[in-house]
Amino acid sequence: MKNVARSVAGSAVTGPLIVMLLVASVVALTTDRFLVSQNLTNVSLQVAVVAIVAIGATMVILTAQIDLSSGSLAALSSVLLAGLIKKAGVDEPIAFLLIIGMGAGLGFVNGFFSSYGRIPSFIFTLGTLAIFRGLSFLYTGGTPIFSISPQLTQVFYGKFLGLPLPLIYVVVLYALAWAYLRYARGGRHMYAVGGNPSAARLSGIGVNRVRTKAFVLAGALSALGGILLTARLNSGSPNYGQGLELMAIASAVIGGTSLLGGVGSVVATLIGALMIVIVQNALNLHAVASAWQQIALGTIIGVAVGIDMWRSELAKGAQWLWKRTLGRGREDVGGAASGEDSDRAPTAERSQRIDETVKP
Amino acid sequence: MTTSTVHAPWELRDISKYFPGVRALRGVSLSLRGGRIHALLGQNGSGKTTLAKCLAGVHPPDDGELVHGGEVVHLRSPAAAAERGVAIFHQEFSLVPPLSVAENICLGRMPSPRGVVDWEGARRQARDALSRLGVSLDVTRPVSSLSVAEQQLVEIAKALSGEKTLLILDEPAAALGPVETERLHDVIRALRSEGTAILYISHRLDDVLDVADDISILKDGRLVRTIEAGDTSVREVIRMMIGSDIEKHFEHHPSGARDERLRVEEVWTDAGVKGTSFTVARGEVLGLGGVIGSGRTEIARALFGADRITRGTLWIDGRELRLRSPRDAIAEGIALIPEDRKTDALFFNFPAPANITVANLDAVSSGPFLSLTRERDQARRLIGELKIDARALEQTVRFLSGGNQQKVILARWLFSDAKVLILDEPTQGIDISSKADIYRLIDELTARGVSVVLISSDYRELLEISDRIAVVQGGRVNHIASHGELSEHELIEMAAVDIASEAS
Repeated sequence: MKNVARSVAGSAVTGPLIVMLLVASVVALTTDRFLVSQNLTNVSLQVAVVAIVAIGATMVILTAQIDLSSGSLAALSSVLLAGLIKKAGVDEPIAFLLIIGMGAGLGFVNGFFSSYGRIPSFIFTLGTLAIFRGLSFLYTGGTPIFSISPQLTQVFYGKFLGLPLPLIYVVVLYALAWAYLRYARGGRHMYAVGGNPSAARLSGIGVNRVRTKAFVLAGALSALGGILLTARLNSGSPNYGQGLELMAIASAVIGGTSLLGGVGSVVATLIGALMIVIVQNALNLHAVASAWQQIALGTIIGVAVGIDMWRSELAKGAQWLWKRTLGRGREDVGGAASGEDSDRAPTAERSQRIDETVKP
Repeated sequence: MTTSTVHAPWELRDISKYFPGVRALRGVSLSLRGGRIHALLGQNGSGKTTLAKCLAGVHPPDDGELVHGGEVVHLRSPAAAAERGVAIFHQEFSLVPPLSVAENICLGRMPSPRGVVDWEGARRQARDALSRLGVSLDVTRPVSSLSVAEQQLVEIAKALSGEKTLLILDEPAAALGPVETERLHDVIRALRSEGTAILYISHRLDDVLDVADDISILKDGRLVRTIEAGDTSVREVIRMMIGSDIEKHFEHHPSGARDERLRVEEVWTDAGVKGTSFTVARGEVLGLGGVIGSGRTEIARALFGADRITRGTLWIDGRELRLRSPRDAIAEGIALIPEDRKTDALFFNFPAPANITVANLDAVSSGPFLSLTRERDQARRLIGELKIDARALEQTVRFLSGGNQQKVILARWLFSDAKVLILDEPTQGIDISSKADIYRLIDELTARGVSVVLISSDYRELLEISDRIAVVQGGRVNHIASHGELSEHELIEMAAVDIASEAS
């Protein structure tokens, strides 16, 4: 029981991993169509876009900001990519670079106004969420652009060494993001800015610059997500990516990234994204209506954030139960989080997890 | 107003309060009688504010009893204290800027018969409270539209309004000008005659002696004595605050070399530095003495590039500096250990190594990449040298004691090879052995030629460590004395009394 209490408040990666494996086993036990190679390939294709966008969401959240515009930015990237290739006749590789560059540029706008401009990012990106979506509809007149180019689908359905390309993208990007956050100065600065912006400034870190950088990376990754969505159906649509920002942020949070900033890991985010997609897949396999799927996703997010915020209380509750039942007569195991100030408790519970995530 | 019924007394019986690593209060017993002004005096860190917070329900005591009118009470929250008629006024504003003056004054106890707010009643209450201060303000204006001085008056009015059994004033005068202070004293005298008990905490000794009936002196969390105000003098109070049983923690080693390292000329900032000038030599400790609000912290922030210098110049080693941010200052070898280490210095999401290297990641990088092994090795070395709790290598600094936390921050600036180290209250709230470690470290650093600017409200410490003492008043250095030239008495008097004469 002690150990259970500790693991509730414990590691950033093992917790979500255990929960995900539990979820996957439940799914595998309730339907025999889950552990089928075709279905698993589907899952890996479904998870790719969410997982890639979730890298950006994780970085932005690490700096204690939020990006709500990623789904809309993916849609804008999609229709502009279709336009570039089909209408302007631009070669695909150049079109990809232009679109990713545009994503980075729009990410810069988000970051610049949220940091240097001091507009809370929650509000500013709520605005760009609407603006990017509106621009996508404006550009296409509301109808999708079909049959862009026959080669385009290869970006999504192609294989490399027998593995689906989206899987390769995910693995490569996650490896890079993990290495960046762990081994690059820029990554360390993101944790520092999210952990204590005032101390970061007084340690010589350009807080606004670091925050802007996180948004730029998030924008570029959202654009990449838009490119994959487009390649998947060989068409560009202003309706793509609805709720993608929700799934990306949920992946990060389910993975244990703290919305207060400074604590989290991209590996855990990948687990979070997998968990969401597996649950969706399971509901699909059980033919549950999509309305219920949305309700399920919302519930998962609520529970995940709840666990994040109530970690210390949950641990204390577990300890209390332990003392009252099995541990009668044992020594008090009161955790360090029971400090003098209840409003400092979030820091305590965050710092417990950081031991696992950024242990240098 | 109510008739002058004397309120039942508040008694503190053997009150103790512990914080991690510190015993803030040890068995303090006091009696606060209605119709008396009781002054609580003591040096910084002696436990005055903690005592006030125990009474105000902010920090319930760990041991001992609070007794009101013969009945033991447990004040577990500020609301519970307010219900018993306890009000507190302190420097930190507790106003809600967008709300009106009336709403702020009545906050938390809006007259609302049958659940509907009686706006006329609220405005009347607010006007009454303000008129006792001799102020007339439009009570419907939002607080955000008032000047800082007006906001202070609203803050006081808020503490005064309603039926009070005990009013606590924690350094009220630090935020007030002389006229407002006089008015405040008139009001608390009036409250006294209405039978309210008043606990008055202040650093301005002459002010306090002027208005108080009883005086209690705290030292290191213990009650030294309670006496009647008429039976004592400023001089005697200071003697009791200092005590005579303090061991010497620090052996002063005067620095030999006298090459100028830092020169400050007529520097101004918007934050409150007003044309200050001084120099610091290589290997010298310059101590800044002064009361709360004198501008010492603001001078430190200006030297570190944290506040923009609007006029005047800084030189380091004969070169003129243009500091636009702390980053520029760090690049020039200037380091600041801020007063509030929790909000301005520590990363609670990092263990000690990342906390130590954060200001100088270049030293553990190859190209853009960090070497986590090198970081760990360097951190281990510093943790050993500074006698920091070894668990900090793995664990977040959240779990360290205040002294260990402070040493982690010192390690950060040792690691970045600072040439000028500004220490703002480096030993506040930390245990004796960590204090001794920090003193030893200052000594070692100055021996290596590092210049230290030391801000401390512990004047004994300041006088012992500093090669020279600068007395700061009104945002500038007014007087500089050499080591041994000033006694603690003289420094306290200079810092406290000059302010009063400047104010009048």
